[in-house]
Amino acid sequence: RTGEALRAFHTAIRSSPGSTRSQAMKEQAQGMMLKVLTSFKSSEIEQAVNSLDRNGVDLLMKYIYKGFEKPTENSSAILLQWHEKALAVGGLGSIVRVLTARKTV
Amino acid sequence: MAYHSFLLEPISCHAWNKDRTQIALCPNNHEVHIYRKDGAKWSKIHELKEHNGQVTGIDWAPESNRLVTCGTDRNAYVWTLKGNVWKPTLVILRINRAARCVKWSPKENKFAVGSGSRLISICYFEQENDWWVCKHIKKPIRSTVLSLDWHPNNVLLAAGSCDFKCRIFSAYIKEVEERPSPTPWGSKMPFGELMFESSSSCGWVHSICFSASGSRVAWVSHDSTLCLADAGRKMDVATLCTETLPLLAVTFITENSLVAAGHDCCPMLFTYEESQGTLTFGGKLDVPKQSSQRGLTARERFQNLDKKASSDTANATLDTLHKNSISQISVLVGGKDKCSQFCTTGMDGGMSIWDVKSLESALKDLKIK
Repeated sequence: RTGEALRAFHTAIRSSPGSTRSQAMKEQAQGMMLKVLTSFKSSEIEQAVNSLDRNGVDLLMKYIYKGFEKPTENSSAILLQWHEKALAVGGLGSIVRVLTARKTV
Repeated sequence: MAYHSFLLEPISCHAWNKDRTQIALCPNNHEVHIYRKDGAKWSKIHELKEHNGQVTGIDWAPESNRLVTCGTDRNAYVWTLKGNVWKPTLVILRINRAARCVKWSPKENKFAVGSGSRLISICYFEQENDWWVCKHIKKPIRSTVLSLDWHPNNVLLAAGSCDFKCRIFSAYIKEVEERPSPTPWGSKMPFGELMFESSSSCGWVHSICFSASGSRVAWVSHDSTLCLADAGRKMDVATLCTETLPLLAVTFITENSLVAAGHDCCPMLFTYEESQGTLTFGGKLDVPKQSSQRGLTARERFQNLDKKASSDTANATLDTLHKNSISQISVLVGGKDKCSQFCTTGMDGGMSIWDVKSLESALKDLKIK
């Protein structure tokens, strides 16, 4: 079960639409990512974050903040845990890049 | 590390004279103050008052001992020392927005001014009319030019701008110099020619620097990245996404090592690996003396609880030497290829001199290539 969540996570990261203008595509990707992120157990988050490269961590941070923008029930709690782990790896720079990014997720 | 607190306000910009005994700085107002080193103290010896707006850039030509200053009043002045007084000469820049940065060329026969008018003014002295004239480089700059640096051949000029790009232009002025020989950045260099333009990063380019040989140019931008373009590798750009807050100033200290500093109030080392074309973070250069983690007394614990609503032992004050963002770095000794001392000034009004050898011995993991 852990393996499945991790695989789904990597797939969602990899298939993130890089430079699409279609709002529908973006929202679909956001919804998918949120589903994957909320399906993780707290103990598994750190391992998932450590398996990403620098670009992956930046992308994850973008999705986390996107998730904060449109909270669903209980989503913020798990997203905060993801935020803590992603911050430990990406540093404040990864948050700065969320703010300055021209291509939003 | 020697730290001197000049002011309580930010130091807008600074420049050193040739033998590093005097420093000219703008104390966040319309003036330039020159301080001279007197043993361990600094005494103010001159106050240059001519600008009508904040002075945003100062550069001190080492050989000809002239100062050039530019400010938000859209003017630049060239100052010459006559006896014991600095006399200003106005330079008409023909800009309608604030000037933001100024740099003498290596041969000191011209200087470049970056401004909010989205152009660079290249100024040179016209002997017949006994006055400074300027030419503009406009295309394809789309926003304020924040930083400039000259290539050692006195012709190429790197410019970092708020349109997120780093560019290298030719600032060849046929009236004052010979045609330049080919460089790794190109062979045809008519005035205003764009030799290199980076693809967009996502942040304003705060600071830009050529390496000592001129075949590499590095810049830092507001999206917390450091980039380096290597002409020796077909102008390939290496990018490093840092984990820090945005950097505001960068300089080469050897051909492969850079020191950059910014909103984290601490200079940091970065290394460029030529064979792989990668940039890596080499470590922070301001490691505070480890104050022993003494436990809190019961009284302090209750005080903390009362004042800050937390019993956390974490310090609320900065451990770094500078207590606010570092806005400028300058090389003092050794040049950009063998720098042994550099200086930082910041928004805390302080100036700090860093000795590379002491840093190397104090921070054992530091490797300066």
